[in-house]
Amino acid sequence: MSEPILSARAVRKTYQSGDRRIEVLSGVDLAVERSETVSIRGESGSGKSTLLNLLAGLDKPDAGEVIWGGGLGLDVRSTFLGMVFQSFYLIPELNALQNVLVARRIVGGIGSAERARAKDLLARVGLAERSHHLPSQLSGGERQRVAVARALMNQPQLVLADEPTGNLDERTGDSVIELLLGLCADTGTALVLVTHNAAHAAKTSRQLFLHNGVLQSAPKPIQP
Amino acid sequence: MPWYFYLALKQLFPTGRKFPFFTFMSGLGIAVGVALLVVSTSIMGGFGYEIRRMIVDTQGEIQVVAQGAISRPDEVIARVEKVPGVVAATPSAQGVVMLEYRNKPSFPAIQGVDLATVSKVIQLEKYVRLGSLDDLDDDSVILSASLARSLGASLGSQVELYSPLLIEKLKNDEVFLPRTVKVVGIFEIGHQQLDQSVVISTLRLMQDLYGLGADVHHINVRIKDGANEFEVADAINRVLPGRDQRAITWFEANADFQSVLRFEKYMVFFLLSFIVVVAALSIMSSLLISVVRKTREIGLLRALGGSGRQIAACYCVQGFLLGIVGTLGGLIISWLVIYYRDQIVRVVAGLTVGQRVFLEFYQFAHLPSHTTSFDIVVITVGSIIISTLAGLLPAWRAARLEPVEALRSE
Repeated sequence: MSEPILSARAVRKTYQSGDRRIEVLSGVDLAVERSETVSIRGESGSGKSTLLNLLAGLDKPDAGEVIWGGGLGLDVRSTFLGMVFQSFYLIPELNALQNVLVARRIVGGIGSAERARAKDLLARVGLAERSHHLPSQLSGGERQRVAVARALMNQPQLVLADEPTGNLDERTGDSVIELLLGLCADTGTALVLVTHNAAHAAKTSRQLFLHNGVLQSAPKPIQP
Repeated sequence: MPWYFYLALKQLFPTGRKFPFFTFMSGLGIAVGVALLVVSTSIMGGFGYEIRRMIVDTQGEIQVVAQGAISRPDEVIARVEKVPGVVAATPSAQGVVMLEYRNKPSFPAIQGVDLATVSKVIQLEKYVRLGSLDDLDDDSVILSASLARSLGASLGSQVELYSPLLIEKLKNDEVFLPRTVKVVGIFEIGHQQLDQSVVISTLRLMQDLYGLGADVHHINVRIKDGANEFEVADAINRVLPGRDQRAITWFEANADFQSVLRFEKYMVFFLLSFIVVVAALSIMSSLLISVVRKTREIGLLRALGGSGRQIAACYCVQGFLLGIVGTLGGLIISWLVIYYRDQIVRVVAGLTVGQRVFLEFYQFAHLPSHTTSFDIVVITVGSIIISTLAGLLPAWRAARLEPVEALRSE
């Protein structure tokens, strides 16, 4: 078996809320293989987003460790990881193409190859004709598709998606998930998908459930 | 181009927006401050420059003075003219007389000039509006425009001159008749104070009126263009024959007046610079609002790999760019205002006190302006630095944002 591209070992995280200490994660273990798609479900407030932030290196665990690519440093986060958020987080002053390119700008220069890749990604998410539109001129689904293209711009080995359909209607959400899974499959990119949606989770190769601060294999959906 | 510079540019000049309102308003504040600073320092500098020009035109850059009169002026002039940097020197005598025309007395200052050498030093002919300096002889005078107006005298008028010697003669029971002279010219320098009450005569007439014999009061000196008047004055001082004789520059001769002008200029500069500071504070508050409004974007940029320092640079660059845009705008506005200043003054004066009152009050026929590159550099660099500093606090706040907290913010 190959070395996982992402490992979380005994990760703990607590938050202080007034006088109370709330342990959100109490020893999470996770290993994601290359090209694997993993979904994480859980109740609201169960710590899914906290876990994703720890996996992304945006936050530090109180205990345990997160290892990328067998021991890569934080400095490679932007090329190793792509992130998709519930709220898209597009920069309103930039058009769709510029928003995709901004991920590349932060890690290096922009040349014709990068522009071509950004345009290709926008074409693959079905927005070739909308590449010069501002976020305010795009629908919610289109914005999230731009965000997906941005997440893949630096050819990451892993995409972390935090409830990417949370702000979309069911049909649009379905199409975004199809798109995300399809692009990850095409590019051999691993995906960790945090979602409330059981149907979306079912489309991943491995389904996990975060309960009482630990990851468990998700229960099989009850058949009607 | 670094990404934070690119993003700063895009935040100020967003894609697809023809009129970036925030950028325009922030830049306008700086522009107005810079324009006011440049215009006010130029006008203040203009007053000083005009006065210098008038003084130099009518007195030369350097005057040799003595505690009493200067004896043997030819000898002094010969020594002075050998000093490097000196172009020419001319003797003169100055004092006060009583001038009477049609029983109307006046007490103007009188300056006696040596017709043979005066034009090498003093540009009097430039200011003679009626008549000619060539017509001036020992039986004639040239009056300043205001004096002629107040007396009702004109070209060809016969006026009577009474000198202070009259009092001396009366003490000795001697009869001293006034000197009747003809008005052969009217001059106007353009400065109310210099034009107010002055008579120009020949040096011989002035020597007669004051009983000076061959002595003079001053020797006026013209120096080469670009020569330093203070250095030349020092050199002249080393060759002057009399111990009580001293060469002073036009600046020293009018030191009090120059000090007041300089003080006024610095005060105006100091007070108006607060406009730039206020504009910079408004930029700071706008950028702070921007940091709050864009907290989640800042979180995203951190998530994409941007460092806190780079995020901070993005806001500093915005302050810097606003400073550049505002300063450039201010320089353009100030150039336009300075270029059209006389038209603007005419309109403003016409709408308020009237142009005549304005001219009498400000003593200049037109609004002077003299912009120095030093002033422009100080204002430009100062306003850009202040604007950049205005971005520091927002930058610091943006850099402090933790990516997770920023992404979570509502």
